Amino acid sequence: MCGIAGYFDKTGNDSAAIGAVVLKMLEALGARGPDSAGVALYGGRAKGEMVLRIKVGENGSVAKNATRLVAEARKLGKVSKSATTAEYLRLALKYQGDPKELERRLESVAAGVEIVSMGRRLEIVKQVGSPQNLDATYGIAKLTGTHGIGHTRLCTESKVDLSHSQPFWAHGCPDLAVVHNGHITNYHKLRRLYEQRGHKFYTENDSEVIGMYLADQMARGLNFRQALEASLKDLDGSFSYLAADGEHFGFAKDVFAFKPLLFTETDKFVAVATEEVALHAGLTGDYHVREAQAGEVRVWER
Amino acid sequence: MGAINCDGRTIREINSEIKRLVADGEKNIVVKNTAARHNLGVAIVKPVKLRFEGSVGYYCAGMIDGPTVEVTGSAGWGLAESMLNGTVIVRGSAGNAAAATIRGGTVVIHGDAAARLAVALKGGLVLVGGNCGYMAGFMAQKGTLIVCGDVGAAFGDSMYEAVCFVGGKIGELGNDAVIEKPTEQEEAFLRDTLKSHMPKKTVLKFKKVVAGRKLWNFSKQERAVWKEAL
Amino acid sequence: MAPHSEPNRPPLKASGTYTPAVIEDIQVKAELGRYRLRGFGTLRERTWATFDDLTFIPCTLTRIPLEGYREKCSARTVLGKRFAKKPIELDIPIMITGMSWGALSYNAKVALAKGANAAGSSNTTGDGGMLMAERENSRALIYEVLPSRYGINVHHLQMADGIELTIGQGAKPGTGGLLLGSKVLDTIAKQRDLPVGVDQRSPARHPDFLGPDDMVIKIEELREATDWRVPIFVKMGATRVFDDVRLAAKAGADVVVVDGMEGGTGAAAEICQEHTGIPTLAAVCEARAALEDVGLYGEVQLIIAGGIRNGVDAAKAMALGADACYIGTAALIALNCNAPLYVEDYEKIGAAPYHCHHCHTGLCPVGITTQKEDLMKRLEIEPAAERVANLLHAMTSEIQVLARACGKADIHDLEPEDLRALSLEASMICDVPLVGTTRVFGGGPGWKERRCH
Repeated sequence: MCGIAGYFDKTGNDSAAIGAVVLKMLEALGARGPDSAGVALYGGRAKGEMVLRIKVGENGSVAKNATRLVAEARKLGKVSKSATTAEYLRLALKYQGDPKELERRLESVAAGVEIVSMGRRLEIVKQVGSPQNLDATYGIAKLTGTHGIGHTRLCTESKVDLSHSQPFWAHGCPDLAVVHNGHITNYHKLRRLYEQRGHKFYTENDSEVIGMYLADQMARGLNFRQALEASLKDLDGSFSYLAADGEHFGFAKDVFAFKPLLFTETDKFVAVATEEVALHAGLTGDYHVREAQAGEVRVWER
Repeated sequence: MGAINCDGRTIREINSEIKRLVADGEKNIVVKNTAARHNLGVAIVKPVKLRFEGSVGYYCAGMIDGPTVEVTGSAGWGLAESMLNGTVIVRGSAGNAAAATIRGGTVVIHGDAAARLAVALKGGLVLVGGNCGYMAGFMAQKGTLIVCGDVGAAFGDSMYEAVCFVGGKIGELGNDAVIEKPTEQEEAFLRDTLKSHMPKKTVLKFKKVVAGRKLWNFSKQERAVWKEAL
Repeated sequence: MAPHSEPNRPPLKASGTYTPAVIEDIQVKAELGRYRLRGFGTLRERTWATFDDLTFIPCTLTRIPLEGYREKCSARTVLGKRFAKKPIELDIPIMITGMSWGALSYNAKVALAKGANAAGSSNTTGDGGMLMAERENSRALIYEVLPSRYGINVHHLQMADGIELTIGQGAKPGTGGLLLGSKVLDTIAKQRDLPVGVDQRSPARHPDFLGPDDMVIKIEELREATDWRVPIFVKMGATRVFDDVRLAAKAGADVVVVDGMEGGTGAAAEICQEHTGIPTLAAVCEARAALEDVGLYGEVQLIIAGGIRNGVDAAKAMALGADACYIGTAALIALNCNAPLYVEDYEKIGAAPYHCHHCHTGLCPVGITTQKEDLMKRLEIEPAAERVANLLHAMTSEIQVLARACGKADIHDLEPEDLRALSLEASMICDVPLVGTTRVFGGGPGWKERRCH
């Protein structure tokens, strides 16, 4: 149903060319996922700053909403940067308060406003259309950082629009993002349980529940790796997914090995993708590629 | 003697403490400051002496088999419900469904009982010193119910083999309830029972109420009786 | 309508209002002077929305199915996770419902216990109390506390793996049980503290609590009596299901059991069986909506009963929100109910194999709903137990086939979204789109204002 890809720099280089690598991998996977494309990139930001990528509106109301958002943000922290590109407002502000409160305040500014990502190191950029188009609009290839994940989408049961595209930020949990290939067949059951506990879902896309699940497990005391391992039991259906936060980068594959996932690790990098062609498109040098096994979980830490 | 103070404690804690003392071999337990809590002394199955100082709520001594329980105050609904065996004595009054569905043992209420006293009685002896309310003895199957004072409406409705004795006025007989004359043996039994449990009480004459047995089987001939019962 | 033999005679015509059956009914009552009684449950042809009005939509391109015969699909079922120290753990989601020893023969009760045990499931006592043979032969035995309290015994309560506080049942909600004199023979009479031969009519209400506010205290009493060890179930006939399930959950039940209109009984007034209660399909939808409304979906388990005939019915009930299903009538049929054996004895009671609902007579030709020794002997325990175990396995395998086709490695992951409605009514009742459309007609069980705590 989709293509996923990810790249993790192991050399301690804060300015690795993650945007370019992930983009090239996604371009090679375009046939698997012609509907939408998106990336979640992690890099160094100014101390104490929270970076937000906000979907301001579709078809027209961008400028007005952006102004109101910046004004609201100023009430909550010192805004160091604000810029609009196509459907997004990118905001950087000094903020140490409750992330849920920040999200609530900003989303209540206007209908259709959605925080697409929030984090100290995370930025998500996604839209309907091809990876090439994503780059043309947002300049992805120029972005640098430490690690990133990306997604090309073939829509199955929900909608083709920006909000339903991936990667999904786990709302309420800064920096946690997921890209997923497959279909979670107990999505509705899990969704009902989370909604009952007050969580809000933004789409009808089953992939959205994965980040919600991981955030919930970590809030209960599991670490990043344990949360991915627990998901093998608690998620039903088909999945190969990549998850990342500010410090971690990892994947999990369902116990039936329903969806492909290949990876490679050298002393310089880790790269993961749905097809080997993507790895060849994005990487240089020598590396050995392996298919992940059924029920395999791997996590790398900065 | 084991002593428990209920102040600031939950029902679960109090009952656990009672059970712990019983398991440790304590034969005499006093529970103070009950403040009408519910479910006190439920399912005690050893022949210990248990005294509740104060009033109790619902189901005090429910499902017991063996102990002797005393309540110095009043009791809520369902006193000693489903008791298999034992003795339960309440100095004050009892709420609805006192001695509901007991299968054996003795329940003594010195004050008044409310509605549905000894409902679905399956054995044992129930003795009330004062009056009782609506539908006492409803569907009583076996056992003996004695009320020294007055009984309310629908007394002894739809009974099977239980036997009731009323010292005061009968508000109204229930369906299929009939009055008979107590036998000499029964009169002696009543005197002895009062002497053991309520020696200061005098009752001049008890009326005996039993089932007329007209509702025991479906039959169209007794349409007058069945008109109410169906 | 009989064809006329003489050319000039008009054809016979029966009234649609005063049908031959209705005429017979009035004639019988003119003799009987009271309501009619029988067993089995509703006999009406099903004109209302049932599980047959739903179909599953397995995986094609958007999802991936599991290999039907090779990949593991878990059927393990846990009940009573909310408060009990020791929840009930079963290998399968189909359990034997409470049926009284009295309505059923001793051999029938023991065969049911053994069969359920062999299949990794549970058995339930019934009106009249616990048989020691049941306890000895069940890995999991649920003890019913009924309005009648016949045979109530604290020691049996403490021996049970779960307590089911029974408010009512689907066949006759709002009324008490019935056991006619021909079945109140010596052992039954003794167990129930009744005279031999009475037409026993149980009370409709519990003797010591009336209403959900008292029931909170009653549930606490049952927990105190069992040291908070075992789950407490509340079982109800399906009437105002949305309200009743909310109340039972709020009153502290670990598990809520809802028994629909199609449920069975050994004997009850015919009008109760035919004209009270709502169908099981509607009941499960209202029940799940109720649990979601009070935020206890997933915490309080839901067991559905009432005309669960096979694994498909169970799978649909589970997709709609049930955690497990009780079977009663289906288990009796596995024992031999309505089997073509001793056919002359069926005729003697006015029935025939596949057409018998005469449980109330006490003359069951195959020894299930009788207390007569000579009839009971006809039900051999071991082979009957094996038939029950086979049925339970068969039903579970049916659920697994459907779950795997829908891409689930666990049958409890079946969801309403795996179903489509074949009729407008089913769409309205179940909140499931009508086939060929994306529309839910009528909005489902949300007819009550949601979120009103």
